[in-house]
Amino acid sequence: MFRYIVLEVRRTLRDGFFLIFGTGMPVMMYLLFTNIGGGEGVDGWKTASMVGMAAYGALGSAMSIGTGVASDKTLGWLQQLRVTPLAPSQAVVGRAISGSVTVLPTILTVLSAGGLLNGVRLDAWQWIALALLLWIGALPFTLLGLGNGYRLTPQGTGVVNVACLMGFAIVGGLWFPLDLLPEWLRSIGRFTPANRFADLGWATTDGHAPGAGTIAVLCAWLLLFGVYAVISYRRSARTV
Amino acid sequence: MKQTTGNSAAVVLTAVVKTFGRTGRSIRAVDGIDLSIGRGETVALLGRNGAGKSTTIGLLLGLDGPDSGSVRVLGRTAEQAVRAGLVGAMLQDGRPIQRVTVRELITFVASTYPQPMPVAEALSLAGVTAYANRRIDKLSGGQTQRVRFAVALAGNPELIVLDEPTAALDVEARRTFWDSMRAYARRGNTVLFSTHHLEEADENADRIVVIDRGRIVADGTGDTIRGAAGSSLVSFDLAGRPTEGLELLPGVVTVEVSGDRALLHTDDSDATVIELARLGAIRDLRVSRATLEDAFLALTAPAAAAPATDSERETV
Repeated sequence: MFRYIVLEVRRTLRDGFFLIFGTGMPVMMYLLFTNIGGGEGVDGWKTASMVGMAAYGALGSAMSIGTGVASDKTLGWLQQLRVTPLAPSQAVVGRAISGSVTVLPTILTVLSAGGLLNGVRLDAWQWIALALLLWIGALPFTLLGLGNGYRLTPQGTGVVNVACLMGFAIVGGLWFPLDLLPEWLRSIGRFTPANRFADLGWATTDGHAPGAGTIAVLCAWLLLFGVYAVISYRRSARTV
Repeated sequence: MKQTTGNSAAVVLTAVVKTFGRTGRSIRAVDGIDLSIGRGETVALLGRNGAGKSTTIGLLLGLDGPDSGSVRVLGRTAEQAVRAGLVGAMLQDGRPIQRVTVRELITFVASTYPQPMPVAEALSLAGVTAYANRRIDKLSGGQTQRVRFAVALAGNPELIVLDEPTAALDVEARRTFWDSMRAYARRGNTVLFSTHHLEEADENADRIVVIDRGRIVADGTGDTIRGAAGSSLVSFDLAGRPTEGLELLPGVVTVEVSGDRALLHTDDSDATVIELARLGAIRDLRVSRATLEDAFLALTAPAAAAPATDSERETV
């Protein structure tokens, strides 16, 4: 599996266009949103927006790995992979781990922009914890993106990924606070993956560890999306 | 390689059926195939496009499961054999993935097998050493094809399966490819390849299995296949004569009519010709040795139905 990770990381790092756009877009959006308008209470907004945009960027690049997988499928690569001894679970986990190399730079560039350009001040441990938690917390979304990619065409994967991302962002309160949603949706919202994922970041900037409930909910989603990805991978090799 | 199963066959398919499509409009891509391939054999799966070759290969690689019947590969299920690293495959529509060099790809594939051959050896056996450090998406069609062959043999598997390995290759590239394939077979490995080129099957396989409409219609050496449809070909101008009863002439196996000319596949051309002479049907009469192509066409002709057996010979 290690060799598989190496192979896929190499392929990703050689795709300059993908890297620049994947990591560049969230930073641009962050700087744009925090420097247009401005006004009172700017400092709090810059920190919250930094976490939000790093989280959103992390989700976006995590899920976009699915598009790459879908085009590998059209090349027959997934079938070829299936006739090697690499087990489906290893193939999926390996691809998810190799995929996270694009997630980390996205998080780091947004956090650097926050710290260096927007003057966000956090303790050293908070910076480190924030980067690591967002990086690891993005794994369920990587698996969801992979599952879609194994199952759908490249175009289909793109559309479904965007729909998933927006749905999770809205229901999870990434775009506007959960308090604005109706009561019934609010109670569901707290169990959605994007909400718990962002909670990792909010807890860190508030200066405390994420709750056990948050971690349990994220682990449940990790398991669910992981199973989905493995099943999709196994189906992807069928000839008709 | 240590043999633990005590089973000497590399591949055993028993009454395998595979249907595609939904109920109502389904296609029996594989319609009751029984096939046993011994260890060390080189076997060609010969058939027209859509005859069921790729489906059969998909079944014995574990990519699909049969609707009924059983598939055993080296004493295991197909999936177990693949997982154990006993099988290497070159699939039909594999195209190069981007941003990876030949050596990187082969190194990865080899690493997934328990007892791979050294990467340099795989590269050289497949004839790709010269461009090992180039990216595979920058190679020509023939070069890519050889890289895919290197992928199939990198793990040093006991059984290698090649689905239409020379499609889209020019004559020179074909020859080089088959030299590499035979070199691999000589190491004692079992090779199964599919093709619709008769000469390739005849020149490179110990045994040819002819598939048509999901069934095996002939199985044996090139000479056996030639014989299966009659070893000679007797043809003459019909000159308006009816064709009924021609199949009953001595020695005749199958009858084809092309324009105003009758083509008789026969086991005994002397007897056939003597009888034709007696009937006076000798205008422009010609006797020739049936080629493998004649046999193949006779066996897989659109009108041909069940497998040709001694009791039930197909006629037009």
